[in-house]
Amino acid sequence: MSRARAEERPGTAGTTLLVLVGLSMAVLLLTALLGMAKAKTGPIYSESNMLYAALVFYAGAGALYMAYGVAGIERYVKYASISTAIGFLATTIAAGHRWYLAGRPPFSNLYEMLLSFVWTLALMTLVAEKYYKVKIIGSITMPLAVVSVILMQLLPSEVRPLVPALQSTWLQVHVSLAMLSYAACAVSFALAIMFLIQDDMKTESFQALTALGMVAIYASMMLRFRSGGFAVAGWDPQQQSEIFIARGQSLFVTIPDLGWLFVLVLISTLAPLALYGVARLRKSEEFYGYANQAMFVTILLQVVGALAFVMRAKGGAYPSPDADGLVPTALAASPFILAGIVGAIFAGLLYLLLMWRREGLQKMLPSADDLDRITYKTICIAFPLLTLMIAVGAYWANETWGSYWSWDPKETWAAITWLVYAGYLHMRITRGWKGRRAAYFAILGFAVVIFTFFGVTYLLPGMHAYA
Amino acid sequence: MGVKAVWDKIYKTLATVRTGIILLITVVIVSALGTLVLQRPTSDVDVIRRTYSPTTLLWLDRLGLTDVYHSWWFVGLLALVSLSIIFVSIERWPNAWRFYARPYRRPEAHFRAVLPNREEFSVKDAKEGIDAATRAFAKAGLKAEKIVDNSEISLYAEKHRFSVFAVYIVHASLLLIFAGGIVDALYGYRGFVAIPVGDTVNAIEMHDAKGNDFKKPMPFALRCDGAGQENYPDGTPKKWWSNLVVLKDGQVVKQKQIIVNDPLIYHGIRVYQASYGQTGKLDHAELRAAPTSGTASPQLITVAMNKPVELDADTTVTLTRFEPDFYVQDNQVFTKSESPDNPAFELKVNTKSTGKDVTLWLFPRFNNISQGPASPYTFAYADMKMANFTGLEVSFQPGQWGVWAGVLLMAFGLTVAFFMAHLRFWAMVVDDPKKGLVLWVGGACNKNKERFETRFKELTSAIREELRASGNGDGAQTKTNG
Repeated sequence: MSRARAEERPGTAGTTLLVLVGLSMAVLLLTALLGMAKAKTGPIYSESNMLYAALVFYAGAGALYMAYGVAGIERYVKYASISTAIGFLATTIAAGHRWYLAGRPPFSNLYEMLLSFVWTLALMTLVAEKYYKVKIIGSITMPLAVVSVILMQLLPSEVRPLVPALQSTWLQVHVSLAMLSYAACAVSFALAIMFLIQDDMKTESFQALTALGMVAIYASMMLRFRSGGFAVAGWDPQQQSEIFIARGQSLFVTIPDLGWLFVLVLISTLAPLALYGVARLRKSEEFYGYANQAMFVTILLQVVGALAFVMRAKGGAYPSPDADGLVPTALAASPFILAGIVGAIFAGLLYLLLMWRREGLQKMLPSADDLDRITYKTICIAFPLLTLMIAVGAYWANETWGSYWSWDPKETWAAITWLVYAGYLHMRITRGWKGRRAAYFAILGFAVVIFTFFGVTYLLPGMHAYA
Repeated sequence: MGVKAVWDKIYKTLATVRTGIILLITVVIVSALGTLVLQRPTSDVDVIRRTYSPTTLLWLDRLGLTDVYHSWWFVGLLALVSLSIIFVSIERWPNAWRFYARPYRRPEAHFRAVLPNREEFSVKDAKEGIDAATRAFAKAGLKAEKIVDNSEISLYAEKHRFSVFAVYIVHASLLLIFAGGIVDALYGYRGFVAIPVGDTVNAIEMHDAKGNDFKKPMPFALRCDGAGQENYPDGTPKKWWSNLVVLKDGQVVKQKQIIVNDPLIYHGIRVYQASYGQTGKLDHAELRAAPTSGTASPQLITVAMNKPVELDADTTVTLTRFEPDFYVQDNQVFTKSESPDNPAFELKVNTKSTGKDVTLWLFPRFNNISQGPASPYTFAYADMKMANFTGLEVSFQPGQWGVWAGVLLMAFGLTVAFFMAHLRFWAMVVDDPKKGLVLWVGGACNKNKERFETRFKELTSAIREELRASGNGDGAQTKTNG
């Protein structure tokens, strides 16, 4: 149907949007160029300029990919992938420039890890599109890239010298393997979701899945609830770093009343899940409709919560139980919370896209069989990378701390991730698990990856305090 | 039930993939649990005491949840996983070995009829058809084996036959890693030692499962000849180093400057740079001493704790006390910290001829001059050097070589398992009652089927070329598939 519809349209279909996106990108780039000419800030190929260019191109690509998702016009993809490629080039130059200035590969802190994450994401998008013909993937990865680049602007970016424990080539290998394998896991997750769409899983089930993810995010944020306030790490504007009381122990400040707002958001995320449960029990279509309405409400509330969080955490000083007077904070001090809030909203928007455009999407995606096979192949790439990442990490730990395995939470969770994917491979190879069950397994695997990457750092601090 | 019946039952239960998966899930749950409860070996005792109430802690300890990864049941669980891997491998080995040792080389009629990847070409002459196929096989990099049976000639070529063992390699490597871990758990140890510069130690500090500290003697003594820290311009530490000497029976057997990431290794015992700091003690200080009366110019002296320094034939001065960061309370001198931010020196000036001792305090941050009414000399601070200690992590892990060997083996096994496929190709000239003389070509592969299909198509088009070139048949296909 959509093919036929696309063919019916004249060759100029969608020109308006292309011109619009192109013009806004040109305006953004031009103003930046003029600003640069005035301010004379370093060479044009400097990291910050290149990142800005990458941001503009990724945003343009993201808009076009999303428009493709909605309208199904093939031309959008062509320009979107050109834009992605230019953005990728800009990111490569930015990373290269940083590497050159620092004299070491850029993998040592959150900012640099995000840089390499964005780089891998763009590369994976291009590969998935050109090699596997999964064109729609850009509408997920490009917004992610945009969010990551914006997040990077909030983090301290100056090239920092490495503390002694991090001065090892093995560390660079370890971190790059981690980024590559996590990115492969992320792609397998996206593919598994697409498989479920193609496998005619009910839209309501996606709704429950999305709501479940949101509940998980806001429930873990409740750990920062402090009698109505919300605790965030303090930020030292001079040092451009978090404030620590002891090694690996941050000084928390409490933003008053924000805690209640997040409680409200948590309740709103629970509502669609509860309504879904009622609908399942009563087998009532009506309640599925209510659940969808609750979904709208929670997304709106989440946007309000996000705005409130950004307004209040972006600056200002708040009281802290561990210090006298007011202690400043900044958005840069709470990258994980910000990522969680933005991620939840993003998941909600993707669900809305699915709800409105299900049929169109299903025609654009590769067949269920293909997706099932590609998911498996992606995990076949991710698993050896995970193995090597753990092995190199163990070797590095042995050289630095004198022990290749010390059951530190991050290590343990990396092993758990490895075991989950090992389980997936066993079920698939020896017991012939395909389709739905395999897709659920791939989703579970990525959930564990997310927990290992964000959750462990945020909830269970250990030796990996640097990253 | 007899012993044999019980054993059979256990063996049969463990020798299934299902049991293996259930055990894996249990390991996952238990290890996750261990990251949620503070673990004795990696957490500070005070932190544990602050986090849990005494009753909770008692129960956590009783259940072994405060040291999950070293508890007998966790080790037992890992042992069961290992046994399950071994038994499943034994169960599946005969089939795998048969497949490896006796490859299916001659395609029978029933096999030729059902193989998914197959193609047939009409040929005029049997021998020339086989020759054309041999040449095409060779061009595709395949070494074909000619099989003659009952005047029927067929070709067989294969690649990476050993890849059928990849699964065994991966599981064996896992067992090797476990074995290394077990050896280390039984015979390995890890501890910490802080050595002030110039001192020698021969025992390390460890704590046992209950969190009690004890000292374990080392088979050698370790002396620290120097330690230091280099900083980046912004003041963050760049490098910690220590000059270490290994002494055995009083003899120097090894010397090395270690830095973070570059340990000293002696007979399997590794000594790592872990931390560096100040002991709060003084190494030496330089003072300017000027006679109270007379016009003699001040002299620069170097003082160390409790070592008298001669100022002139009649007078000596001794540093009797040092506080790095002093404060005064109730007319007494105390120290606030171990960093030399605000030092205080207590000096004793002794005059031999009178036998009189005068005690003076010198506070460089205040007036930097010290004079007592009865002292023959005044002292001013010039410079000082603090005594440092180096913090060393000492570990002995004889099993680590098993672990590294296992890791390398696993990397190899996974490469073979995921990226190497067992490729098989057959060719045979058949006299078909309906189609006449045909060259049948077939191929099979155990993974990555799409890529194999293109490879198979390349081979068949090469055969077609060869047949055309040799004038044997027109290379027309009598049957295509797909």
